[in-house]
Amino acid sequence: MNTARQLGVLLGFCLGAHVAAAAEPPDFTGIWDTYREPGAPPPRFGGPPEKLPLKTDAQKKVDDYRALIAPSGDTPGGWCLGTGMPGSMLGSGGYPMEIVQHKELLVVVYEAHTEVRHIYLANRAKEGDLFPDRNGYSFGHWDGDKLVVETTHLKEAVDQARYPHSDQAKIVETYHLAANDDGTKVLTAEMTLTDPAFYTEPIKAVKKWQQKPGIRLLPYECNEPAWEDHLEQLREQQKPAAHPPQQKPAAGKKDGG
Amino acid sequence: MRTSFLAILIVSSLAVAPAARAHHSAARFDLTIRDHFVTGIVKEFHPANPHTKIVLEITDEKGTRDVEFEGHSLNNYYRGGWREGLVKVGDKITLQAAPTKDGSDGGYALGVIAADGTKF
Repeated sequence: MNTARQLGVLLGFCLGAHVAAAAEPPDFTGIWDTYREPGAPPPRFGGPPEKLPLKTDAQKKVDDYRALIAPSGDTPGGWCLGTGMPGSMLGSGGYPMEIVQHKELLVVVYEAHTEVRHIYLANRAKEGDLFPDRNGYSFGHWDGDKLVVETTHLKEAVDQARYPHSDQAKIVETYHLAANDDGTKVLTAEMTLTDPAFYTEPIKAVKKWQQKPGIRLLPYECNEPAWEDHLEQLREQQKPAAHPPQQKPAAGKKDGG
Repeated sequence: MRTSFLAILIVSSLAVAPAARAHHSAARFDLTIRDHFVTGIVKEFHPANPHTKIVLEITDEKGTRDVEFEGHSLNNYYRGGWREGLVKVGDKITLQAAPTKDGSDGGYALGVIAADGTKF
């Protein structure tokens, strides 16, 4: 075999291997919980919010919102409303998430408020068929063994605890899978949020999860107590009066007639 | 272990849902206080999301009365070890309860010691 033929065979082998590798992306399917580095202290609650490069008008919107809810401590979650992106991905209240991976779609379920994201890998929706949502519209592709997801069509959300944004926000997440020395699977998402209406520069954040085999995602009914309270109120309203008023004779009706 | 567990519970519950049955808020509790314990007789125990509702009959220097507490979500209590039937009406239980900031009755149940000694 001459040198040219040998190179051709080698090139063909490499291309074939590349195609085979590209055809089999890593499998993210499973239950994932927030990852903490070995020896890292437990997370702390509270503290002032992160200083963000917000534009003046956006800063005022955020300040106004935070002043509004400060006395009561109200949050969307307290009103049984899902967090929305990027909070649903970055925090999800510390609850686990489940990923179900298909060839053309990944379904991500965040346990808190049972928020669901669909990450489409094919059949992108037409622009005219989309509308703004708290979690937006997510479309992704595989870049080697990394999943790159772009999320658009977000509603303006000043109620995001960490990264409030406008309806012009675009979020790009890059996911990759690795394993610790002990074999623990760790999923990392590197996020970049760009929002020319709210921010003077892109916002970057990293979130890590570890796979939790053997646990299940729990239901998260949130409005059930409010519904039960409402039913109780209806029962109270519809209770017959203890001493119903005596019926008067119908008009025009004569006694003994 | 217990400290880490409680820290996770606090972050988990408050980051998502500092509210309760009637959209209450954790803002009225002093969550920095971790060594406040309250013992009473269970009048109501409703594990729920985003927050659990607990009513205890408490007897102290103020007398005997029913006091309402908020607690972590059903899901967090479940992962912390709570199971159906573990806490029943009439049980004597102890709450690790962050007190209210204004000193009024009530608190936020960071942890529970059930009648059989189970902690969650």
